[in-house]
Amino acid sequence: MTLLMEKDAPQVGERTRAARGRVRLREHLLGWLFVGPFALVFLAFLIAPLAYAAYLSLFQRKLIGGTSFVLFDNYLKAFTDPSFLSGTWFVIRFSLVAIPLQIGIALALALILDAVTSMFARFARLMIFLPYAIPTVIGAIMWGFLYSKSFGPLADVFGLFGATAPDLLSSNNIFYGLVNIVTWQWVGYYMIILYAALQGIDPSLYEAARIDGAGRWQIAFRIKIPLISPAILLILVFSLIGTLQFFNEPQILRPLAAGAIGPDFTPNMYAYQQAFGLANINYGSAISFALGGVVFVGVYAFLFFTRKRRSFL
Amino acid sequence: MTRPASTGVRRPPRRHLPLQVFLGFVVVYFLVPFWWVVVNASKDSVGLFGGGNTLWFADSVDYLGNLYQLFTFDGGIYGRWILNSAVYALAGGVGATTLAVLAGYGFARYRFGGRRFAFALVLGALMVPATALVIPTFVMFAGLGLTNTMWAVILPSLLNPFGVYLMHVYARDAIPTEILDAARADGAGELRVFLQVALPLMRPAVVTVLLLSAVACWNNYFLPLAMLSDNRLFPVTVGLGLWQGIASANNAGTTPLWSLIILGALVSVIPLVIAFFTLQRHWRGGLALGGLR
Amino acid sequence: MKRSRLRHAMAMLAAVTALAACSGGDGGSSAGNASNCTNEIPKKNLPVVTVWGWYPNMNLVVDNFNKLNDEVQVCWTNVGQGSDEYDKFQTAIAAGTGAPDVIMIEMDRIPTFQIQNALVDIRQYGYEQVKDNYGEGAWKDVSVGDAIYGVPVDGGPVAMIYRKDLFEKYDITPPKTWEEYEQAAQKMKDAGGPLFGDFAANVSALTMALQIQKGANPFTYDPTQPKTIGIRLNDQASKDVLAYWERLVRKGLVGTEDQFTPEYINGVINGKYATYISAAWAPGYLTGAGVGKGEDSGKWAVAPLPQWDPDNPVQVNWGGSAWSVTSQAKNPELAAKVAYGLYADDESLSHGWKNQIIFPLNLKALKSSEFVEHEVPFFDGQQANKEVYVPAAEAYQGVTYSPFGQYYFDAMTKQVSALIQGSVTAEQAADRLHEDVVAYAKEQGFTVQ
Repeated sequence: MTLLMEKDAPQVGERTRAARGRVRLREHLLGWLFVGPFALVFLAFLIAPLAYAAYLSLFQRKLIGGTSFVLFDNYLKAFTDPSFLSGTWFVIRFSLVAIPLQIGIALALALILDAVTSMFARFARLMIFLPYAIPTVIGAIMWGFLYSKSFGPLADVFGLFGATAPDLLSSNNIFYGLVNIVTWQWVGYYMIILYAALQGIDPSLYEAARIDGAGRWQIAFRIKIPLISPAILLILVFSLIGTLQFFNEPQILRPLAAGAIGPDFTPNMYAYQQAFGLANINYGSAISFALGGVVFVGVYAFLFFTRKRRSFL
Repeated sequence: MTRPASTGVRRPPRRHLPLQVFLGFVVVYFLVPFWWVVVNASKDSVGLFGGGNTLWFADSVDYLGNLYQLFTFDGGIYGRWILNSAVYALAGGVGATTLAVLAGYGFARYRFGGRRFAFALVLGALMVPATALVIPTFVMFAGLGLTNTMWAVILPSLLNPFGVYLMHVYARDAIPTEILDAARADGAGELRVFLQVALPLMRPAVVTVLLLSAVACWNNYFLPLAMLSDNRLFPVTVGLGLWQGIASANNAGTTPLWSLIILGALVSVIPLVIAFFTLQRHWRGGLALGGLR
Repeated sequence: MKRSRLRHAMAMLAAVTALAACSGGDGGSSAGNASNCTNEIPKKNLPVVTVWGWYPNMNLVVDNFNKLNDEVQVCWTNVGQGSDEYDKFQTAIAAGTGAPDVIMIEMDRIPTFQIQNALVDIRQYGYEQVKDNYGEGAWKDVSVGDAIYGVPVDGGPVAMIYRKDLFEKYDITPPKTWEEYEQAAQKMKDAGGPLFGDFAANVSALTMALQIQKGANPFTYDPTQPKTIGIRLNDQASKDVLAYWERLVRKGLVGTEDQFTPEYINGVINGKYATYISAAWAPGYLTGAGVGKGEDSGKWAVAPLPQWDPDNPVQVNWGGSAWSVTSQAKNPELAAKVAYGLYADDESLSHGWKNQIIFPLNLKALKSSEFVEHEVPFFDGQQANKEVYVPAAEAYQGVTYSPFGQYYFDAMTKQVSALIQGSVTAEQAADRLHEDVVAYAKEQGFTVQ
């Protein structure tokens, strides 16, 4: 995340050597005064829970025999637990498919909307963004109905072409069913961010390129995309964090697809199941923490990777 | 940071027909679920389950009857859920935004000890899975007797590191230092400088952060699901999830709960859709700066 | 241990209690507070007992109780059905607060919560007075050893619900054995008829019941030795039942749709399945979804559950629920009064069984001629109770459930799902399920026999 780190903030005005000591103290105070309330919340609802989860995860609770201190046993167990591993593998596979797909579509749409400026384009921009205003839970409920073989429209649509509709809630297809839901849900949001970034580019750059003989595609690929690469990177990081924590959609679809979505479908669901379904808060905490570790490593590796190849983006 | 092209000469609209047709298909994809919900919210359970065209209205279109049922079923609990969601979104959104504005301004405008480290922590926090915090927070709140209260949902929602990051970027780039210094030279105190000079300049970012955090609260599912057991405190997301479970199991006796869930989903998205459309001028400018830096 | 952990949490929060403190004063919305009831409490000066439950006619049941009782009033909320409610209860147990005084629990979950000391033995609080209101099998299902952890309300004798019209059309008589069931299914398929039934991954409790019918005995548990449990999930009977359904699935005779989904209801309504192996409460569930109404009415009938050995019939149970008093109850004696009295008055009971929301275990209803001879509208006037359900309930002998029901059912769902997909055989599914559950039991500190 260091690449997002800001430059030094400008100092408060000019000041003389003599006054600097006093001013410095004043500035320390003022700075912390402004940051203080957030810092308190930060400590209370981020640092403290994290520390507490770390603490809890060092214990083991059994139905028979109660709670005992086990140090890192829960982690050893988690990283050999087929449920946790398969869940983690699922979210990684899911990230590899869903994120490039979402961002690719969002980028394409943003470029189109940047190039086409009709009334309809403005309307389209809003409509594509609309799903972002829908809670993920509601979105999953809606798609759950749409996927239904008998009262969703898929059967009708595929029927038009004489094909049978795939059951997107079955074990074989649930992956694609979920990819579709998150794509529908998030593409609009990513598109708006990218679109806003595109709108921020100085148009005179295009003029210059055009004079140099660059075509539309060249402008898009040589100028637009490189210039908004920080925005793309930001979205990538956020979608990666979000996807690795996948919970809402599969949790909501479970009652409709119990065979395909087990309680250990994603690491987050597994942690929830352990903590709240099986009375094992300690192991649930360990899984949360292990997941946090996976996310951190994943994002860090990603940033490291992209920094080495900035030109690629 | 370059400002949007609106300052330049307005050019005639560019219409690229094939692209527009393509956009048309895309829009259809994004709207189909809404259409399905709008259509099927008008049906009773016979219309829902009895087959027939799923993308068109059944013989009996009964929005009013379904709406009446929606808001009276189980003692009108649905209305309460909507209200709860509004409270959570408003309290969490305003609270988180206030904290983020203060902190962002503080990080951007003062060089205080530990600033770099603290800011690095904030950025690092963006990577912590928010849901990973829910379980330990739950246990802590249980110790304080806060679980199953509205506070259990509102307090953790006050944490919005991304908001701080956005505000920081904006406070750094959009407020000319000279203006602040001029105000100080006129004898204004730091608080007055912040409230009367800096804050108005930060308005687009404030609206954006407010909307983003309110939406995050409105959409929240995992946190209230874990924290609340009293269904009178549920936000609408958890409430509809509850109905879905009940409908799956026994259909609440004779009430056609599936129809209510569909209509409930439709009604629940209306407030946010309106908020987004009416405020779109404000938030789009704000999002741009998050993406650009 | 829990206490010290909680104290630890508080210590950690000490630095930031400023925020929490200002909110602690409010706290006006805990579950114990009577202001958050779904029902109106008519007699406001009486003490209040909080109740969680999901019977569809709870509104009426609670109002009846409150009307009739002058000692205590019920404050009821519905926090979800089945595992939704159990997750909430589990959460409250972990938190040490937030549980209701009285909770509706399916009987197969009682040991799960009892082993965590989350339930109160209510034998001392008036068991003797109501003992004779329930049969012995009913009491056995809510007991652990001599201790009583629930008051039975609803039973779930399993039978075969079927489509009369389809049976007539394809000239099929209700099968008496599972062998006949398979033959009938084949006959229907050969004649181009619909699927004969459904074998779903998400109804583990039913699959377990069908295994028990063949002679399986999944768990043996003696509460005087709470650390020891016997687990037999891969004996021949269990494997045979899985293999039977596997064969029917492979031959395309039955569907594999998850049950309790709109999709399945849709299938049932549209005649996709000729039979529905389910419990006595199923018709209420189906009518709620619009089955058996309008032009659909009069199509349904019920027959006894097919048997493996018709000379030695075995009846099984699916679902069935009770009122338990939680250990967080502020006044267990008062809570027990509610548990004993709620859904036990004549009006509630008859409303429940007439709408087929419950199959009453209360003998007042179960033995009444009105109930026994009732001509069930859903079954086109068939005397379903007399012909099918009451005999099944009377022959039911009770089952020993495991103290980790949730885990067992989830693990079963996983294996059955794999079985349906064809990635494992019945034999492998049973073996894997057994290994899985045994490993979990050991990990939880049990000695497995």
